[in-house]
Amino acid sequence: MTRKIVVIEDDQPILDLMGILLKKLGYEPILIPNGLDALTSVRADPPDLILLDIMMSPLSGWEFLERLRNEYNLREVPVILFTASPVVPEKMEKLNDPKLGILQKPVTYDELKAAISHFLA
Amino acid sequence: MEHQFSIRGFPISNTDFVRYTVIASLTLCSILITAIALSKNAGALYPQLFYFPILYATYFYPKRGIILSGFCGVVYECLIYFSLYPDTFALWSATGQAILFICVALAVGYFTNIIRISEARYRSIFENSLLGIILFDKNQFTISLANHQIAAMLGYTVEEISHVTFSDLFFSRDLQRRFFEHLGSGENIKNFETCFATKTGEPHWVILSWSRIDDVVVSCSITDIHAEKMAREMAVDSSTQYQQLTESSPTGIVITNHTKILYANPAFSRFSGYKPDECIGRIITDSILEEDKDRFVTFAGKWELPSPVPDRAEFRFLTKEGENRQAVLYFTPIIRNSRPAGLINIVDNTEWEEYRGRVEQTKERRKEMMRAVAHELRTPLQPILGYLNLLLQDRNSFGITDETWQILDRCAKSVDQERQIINQMLELSVLEGEETSLDYSVFSVPGIVNGVIANGGYTLKAEIAVDIPHDLHFEADRQKLSYVVDVLIANGVNYSKPPKKVWITYRDSPTLPFHRLAIQDNGIGITEAQLDAIFKPEDDGTSLSSKHNAGGPGLSLAIAKKYVQLHGGYISVDSIGNIGSTFTIHIPKKRPDKDQPS
Repeated sequence: MTRKIVVIEDDQPILDLMGILLKKLGYEPILIPNGLDALTSVRADPPDLILLDIMMSPLSGWEFLERLRNEYNLREVPVILFTASPVVPEKMEKLNDPKLGILQKPVTYDELKAAISHFLA
Repeated sequence: MEHQFSIRGFPISNTDFVRYTVIASLTLCSILITAIALSKNAGALYPQLFYFPILYATYFYPKRGIILSGFCGVVYECLIYFSLYPDTFALWSATGQAILFICVALAVGYFTNIIRISEARYRSIFENSLLGIILFDKNQFTISLANHQIAAMLGYTVEEISHVTFSDLFFSRDLQRRFFEHLGSGENIKNFETCFATKTGEPHWVILSWSRIDDVVVSCSITDIHAEKMAREMAVDSSTQYQQLTESSPTGIVITNHTKILYANPAFSRFSGYKPDECIGRIITDSILEEDKDRFVTFAGKWELPSPVPDRAEFRFLTKEGENRQAVLYFTPIIRNSRPAGLINIVDNTEWEEYRGRVEQTKERRKEMMRAVAHELRTPLQPILGYLNLLLQDRNSFGITDETWQILDRCAKSVDQERQIINQMLELSVLEGEETSLDYSVFSVPGIVNGVIANGGYTLKAEIAVDIPHDLHFEADRQKLSYVVDVLIANGVNYSKPPKKVWITYRDSPTLPFHRLAIQDNGIGITEAQLDAIFKPEDDGTSLSSKHNAGGPGLSLAIAKKYVQLHGGYISVDSIGNIGSTFTIHIPKKRPDKDQPS
């Protein structure tokens, strides 16, 4: 069965690119351009992994993550923070969440592949 | 020492011997005179001649003289009695003369004694006095007598000073004139301060007191106040200097008794807004901002201790106009008028604090901007890099020719470099902005060096010679040190001339507190101008980075330098044109104390 990966990203070119790359890597991408819609979507159908942009509005990546972790059945879903912001790694370390990873934009094809397979081996 | 004679076993001194000799010879003279006078029957006049030798003896030796005159009187009486008997008038007359003679001798002896005692008294005063004493002629100013004290005071001998005229002793004409004016007033003067000249012409301050002995002779006593005067002048001098110093000081200076202000300089007056006289008597605590008062009371409480120590603290003040100012207080315990007091320097750093705040703000803003810029630069790179990767990964499905593939590959490499530069830029801003902690561990140095060489593929680009003891270990941040080694090896490889060669050597020196790891290339060398710019991230076009195309070594060298500095070490560079450059990493052998900022 193909693994489902939800990509939450408000930058359309990147969102499109991730769709292509993930398909190429053999996953089923679900592309959602904002956090609120994404929350509804993942509640209805929990994915195998979430690629999450941080700087979004109205719901930021951090807020999304907090709500996600408050849902019992979504607590264990691996999330890869997908960001260009340099302050994210520090904040992420403080959360101390084993199901949390990070990818600093821009990522190469190989880096993306490695990061995902870390959680979905 | 007096020579000892003895008469019948009784020791007599030299002086006594002379005395007895004089008395004996004078007595003999008297008797001879009397005998001659009587034998020639010269009448009553001649025998009386013997008065004089005896009176003379009495003058010198009153006691013995009186005894002698008594004895001589009796002898004279006997002789007269035998020679003139039975002339009754003559006998009575002779007896009367003898009694008169004894009375005169007694009187001479008595007054001589008084004169002698008084002379001895004055002599002792004159000679032993701590004051200088001079007797001088009021009209001629010749010195008739001067004691040793005044002679020594002015550097003369007693003999020399008696040849000087008193008026010449004064240091200047003006002083001399003032003295004459006082002398002319005819009164006895006490405590007349003036300045004498020493034999060598130096000024010497004295106080004169004089009194007339008779119409001509004036006795003058001289007190030496030179040392005291000099000390006083010096004290006045230094006090004036101190005053000028405090008055002109830009720092607020306050002297307090506990917290009450006894003195405040103009700078403090300006600082506090109170006039100088308003400051006096104020309590410093009243000028401290309400929020800082408790802290100040604790600080000032330590001034009351039996032996207070210098101290400093920073407080906010409230000026008279209600303005807030910030200052550092430096307290020093002092003694003022024999009482403990506090000397407080108040350094106004309000503007400095504002400036520091602005600098902090600017730094913070710059950091924020760097982050925002990084975000904005990285985001658009993602689609470029992603799509390029996609095309390169799957060239067949996109129908890409070899030539196109190569072009795309170059593009991808450039984007990757761009990505690295952004990352380095961010790293540098973090290193400059805040404290970065080091993750210390003990690791094998050949391990990381060989690791770096293998990962960087440097052996493909140049000949690398490693000469490091196989058991060498450093205690440092392994990851950061690997980065430093990588940057320097990459730098060496890039700048070597064909045939490229890089030497990596460990240079030990037991006396040095540093491990030294040298990375040497056979390159073109670095010019003086480049040496200064090489570790600076700001590139003005002269540094190597402007000619470099692999990830900006300007930035990476700057980061490497910061990493080594974080360890408490440094990187040194030696370069000889066309022979090569040597970069030496100095890492402390002993890990710096955690408490100390690196």
